[in-house]
Amino acid sequence: MSTTRSPAGIPLYRLAWRSLWRQRRRTILLITVVAYATFTNIFLWGFTDGFLESMLTGHARLISSPVLVATPAYRDDPDPENALPNLDFRDALPEVPGVGATALRLEFPALLRSAYASQGVLARGIEPAQEGRVSYLPAHVRRGRMLATPGEVVLGRALAARIDARVGERVVLDAAGPAGPHAAGLIVVGLIESKVVQVDGGTVLLHLDDARRLTGVTTATGVALDAPRGREDAVARAVQAVLPVGIRAYSLTDLIGFLRVELVNERIQMAFILFIFALFAAAAVTSTILVSVIERTREFGVISALGLGPRDLSRLVTLEATLGSAIGWGIGLVLGYALTLAFGRWNILGPVIFPVYGRAFVALGVGEELFTTSRPDYGVYATVTIVLAALFTLAGPARRVRRLSPAQAMRVE
Amino acid sequence: MSRWTTLPAAVMVLMFFTTGHAATDPRAVLRAIVDSTRGTSMRATLTLAVQRPGQETTYVLAVVGDGRARSLVHVRAPVRDAGQAFLIDGDNLWIYTPRLKRALRLPPSGRSESFLGSDISYNDLGGRDLEEDYTPRLLAEDVTAVTLELTPKPQAPTPYGRVTISADARTYAPAEIVFYDQRSQAVKRITFADYVPAGTRRFPTRIALSDLLRPGYRTLAVYSAYQFGIAVPEQCFTIRALESGC
Repeated sequence: MSTTRSPAGIPLYRLAWRSLWRQRRRTILLITVVAYATFTNIFLWGFTDGFLESMLTGHARLISSPVLVATPAYRDDPDPENALPNLDFRDALPEVPGVGATALRLEFPALLRSAYASQGVLARGIEPAQEGRVSYLPAHVRRGRMLATPGEVVLGRALAARIDARVGERVVLDAAGPAGPHAAGLIVVGLIESKVVQVDGGTVLLHLDDARRLTGVTTATGVALDAPRGREDAVARAVQAVLPVGIRAYSLTDLIGFLRVELVNERIQMAFILFIFALFAAAAVTSTILVSVIERTREFGVISALGLGPRDLSRLVTLEATLGSAIGWGIGLVLGYALTLAFGRWNILGPVIFPVYGRAFVALGVGEELFTTSRPDYGVYATVTIVLAALFTLAGPARRVRRLSPAQAMRVE
Repeated sequence: MSRWTTLPAAVMVLMFFTTGHAATDPRAVLRAIVDSTRGTSMRATLTLAVQRPGQETTYVLAVVGDGRARSLVHVRAPVRDAGQAFLIDGDNLWIYTPRLKRALRLPPSGRSESFLGSDISYNDLGGRDLEEDYTPRLLAEDVTAVTLELTPKPQAPTPYGRVTISADARTYAPAEIVFYDQRSQAVKRITFADYVPAGTRRFPTRIALSDLLRPGYRTLAVYSAYQFGIAVPEQCFTIRALESGC
């Protein structure tokens, strides 16, 4: 804050503050514009990041895994015939920094049958004790319980409803693998409800032993690894170092494929849109200050005659713009963070947005629960409005004031 | 008792125990019933009427079977589907489509799918699932009929809770099979009628399948121009036969 003083000995910032509130209505308009821009900025970043976070979490913990070890052949063609040739490397994985836990998975296409209907599915054989350490699926069992022993199956709730299978009933899984066609009757012990359509409508979890028996595969199609959010790429690179030739570690960004590019594009687009918002808000602030300066030309002439130089006059005007913008920014911060915190705590957006964009959400792996995020950097991004307003004011109204001749200015009515 | 009077008596006692044992051994009864539904080796024309609420589609099929696990089916009518063919050999199932001029092998899951949009699955055409997947129990027996109740074996690949089968007590010709879901609700009924001799068996030439959960969904299969116990060449159960007939 400037410590320059006016000819009357009042600090310049105090003079700017007083000037700001002498035209209360105009100042409130200025503050409102900046508050709105700041609020929008914070909310849109919170919404965008919340959406991306939901998508990444859905893929990392519900649909796929943070890091998956598999053969490149399986990655290209997810067929049990392309399963891992052996699991000798597994013991070395927990030693890799960042790897929290490992869980074997054996995925295979199958037909799920009840007495009433049948449905093509991608079944996943798991190690029940390990799966919960890499996946949120066990935590989403809403009816019954999680898989524990061979002969049991856990289904997505929507899938179970589609074939009319209930907890305690037997369903049939028909599969084909290197060992030829096999079928098994499995008892439904639990239903998963995650609000992610792909999960609720397609999950079939069975014991790894059953999956091996059905497919004839003696290893697994992949090893799912727990890795901290945001460090998946680094962990995958570290894991790759301990893997034998012909086996690869795929990070979440590898696994989500095209979505990775979409994520980067989404953020660039959002940054551009919000910059335009800030630009308009700053222009609105500048125009308000400009009108104020034009109306106060005589006043500036008097102040100048009393001894305040053109440079300080310019600083006074810029200070007014900065102070007004800062107040608007503060109010926008409070409102923006209040909303993102509320929408981050309660699923208010999901039921509103999902019915409209449901199909797109399905493709992205986002569920009916949509939460916003609240990060401190959103507030920093929103200061762009203040910076732009100050720059525009310097280039426009402040420049005009600096060029004022006191004698001429005092003659203006 | 003289030797000449003892022998017929012994034969009669033996016959009594033999037939008595077959009648009360649920597994033997089930095997006999399933054999009767399969007949022996055969060639026949099968007319399949697929009934749906407000409409009916009739297919005419040429069927060749070895009486065990192999069947070859060619669609003769309607014109729209004529030329399609199906080869079932144990767990393997191939389909020939004249439009593609190619035989495609269906995944095993396809065996549970509906055959020509009817209420019959490919399994119904050639499988012995009732014997393999269920444990039979004698539910009722008198001089005219025998009824078995089948319950699924542990981990058996069947979604049904139980199945009841009624058959003629003397010939084991099947009369009715009812499939129940796991809530004890009957979901599918197969009834058999118009039996003809097929070797030592009585083969039903009229079979009706009813979906008990969907009124109006019914499939009627009627065999005609049948020949049983004939020699069916091995080449009838090959991909070549699937494409060009047998």
